[in-house]
Amino acid sequence: MAKANNCNVPEELMYWVREHVWVRPEEDGTITIGMTDAAQHLAGMVVNATPKKVGRRVKKGRGTGIVESGKWVGPIKSPVNGVITAVNEDVPADPSLLNSDPYGAGWFVRIQPADWETDKTGLVTGAQAVAEYEAFLKEEKIDCGNP
Amino acid sequence: MEKVRVLDMGLVSPLRSQAIYHGVAYAMQPDTPNTIILVGPTDPYVCIGYHQELEKEVDVPYCQEHDLSIYRREVGGGAVYLDKGQVFTQWIFQRGQLPLDLEKRFALYIEPLVQTYQSLGINATLRPINDVHVNGKKIGGTGAAQMGDADVVVGSLMYDFNFDLMARVLKVSSEKMRDKIYQSLNQYITTMTRELGETPDYEAVNQAYLKHCAETLGVELEYGEPTAAELAITEELEARFTSDEWLYQKGGLRQTGAVKIHADVYLVETAYKAPGGLIRSTARLREGRIDDLTLSGDFTMLPAFAVGALEQSLRGVSLDEEQVRARVGEFYGSLQVQSPGVGVADWVTAVLSLKGQMSAH
Repeated sequence: MAKANNCNVPEELMYWVREHVWVRPEEDGTITIGMTDAAQHLAGMVVNATPKKVGRRVKKGRGTGIVESGKWVGPIKSPVNGVITAVNEDVPADPSLLNSDPYGAGWFVRIQPADWETDKTGLVTGAQAVAEYEAFLKEEKIDCGNP
Repeated sequence: MEKVRVLDMGLVSPLRSQAIYHGVAYAMQPDTPNTIILVGPTDPYVCIGYHQELEKEVDVPYCQEHDLSIYRREVGGGAVYLDKGQVFTQWIFQRGQLPLDLEKRFALYIEPLVQTYQSLGINATLRPINDVHVNGKKIGGTGAAQMGDADVVVGSLMYDFNFDLMARVLKVSSEKMRDKIYQSLNQYITTMTRELGETPDYEAVNQAYLKHCAETLGVELEYGEPTAAELAITEELEARFTSDEWLYQKGGLRQTGAVKIHADVYLVETAYKAPGGLIRSTARLREGRIDDLTLSGDFTMLPAFAVGALEQSLRGVSLDEEQVRARVGEFYGSLQVQSPGVGVADWVTAVLSLKGQMSAH
């Protein structure tokens, strides 16, 4: 898996780097989103996670739910305008999935975007994503290899 | 030189003292200055952490009988009793302007607090990640959150603290637990009043704090007022904060069962049903070791002093199965103890169950 400053950045996913959100377009036109490896590293051990409910409208840049670690509370922001079509029910029951498997079992919500073609232009993927993430993490001196 | 806005709001309603920093954060626009708010509440109240379940954490009937309001903040952590004895120091900064690394962010936020205390002759230091300690005692807590486009860090200047009411407003599993919380707060929390023998002048200390903020951040401070937009959002949030839906929200909320006193000190209570009766273990844990332990329940142990002796023998032991088993074994080996239906294995299980309550910490 590709890495940026020791943070995993799978090249097949899309990213909103500044907000530390990953995005995977699904075949049915929805998108799955979650927090990146760098985000979970920065937050520390997540002790609570509460995704919004299925059916809720979300705006680009607004929270799809809230996560709480020992020292911090914050949203996982939506990269699109749309409606939440599914939430990962395993995450509230075991919030540490966000730490242990942020790109897999720790996915957060699925959204039906209102205008994917427009909103996806702000996202990066592949080698470009790895390079942008690396530049961002270097600037902030963040390294997932450090405890 | 870059400017940081100061909102010195004096005393406001308990609700406003919480809502204001959320309001300023959620109203943040790209041209909003980074802001430091100083504010205190006119009346005492109770504030709970974002994901806490109110009725499990707070003695709501007691608060209602004593006219104590309760508000949920969008910052993590535990329930706290707050009053005029604390001045809240709330930083609301544009995202990207504070260190992304939380340890560094807290270190920056805590630096002016430490300097202010030190200027008063109080030996305050940063206890990473986010405590301020004075000779092993905590002097106020801190928390961080992201709200909209703002990064928020909150804490307080701890002039005074009501230890009795702090212990009283919490919902606890037994009065033994409450006594231990009260003792531990007294032992492990301190205030400016306690350290100095008198309460220092609020205005002078607040000004010293702001001066240290300017130096630490390398900025110029500019006194201001909240904008109309910030106040409008604050008022919207006040409506939300007073709704039962917000206050009593449940679902996906995880409790730890531990009461944190400070970074190294926790109180936990567990119950274990042994064949010979229920064993309730109420313990203070310090750096993973038993600092203080009370064993109660409906088991029988003779002679009468033996329970106290067992409690004493487990002090200082870390919550490790081998160590606990060895200590309990030594106890049974050295005293002629009768405890029908409760054996070494039961004490080991009862004591190690304390560890389970600490899993989220």
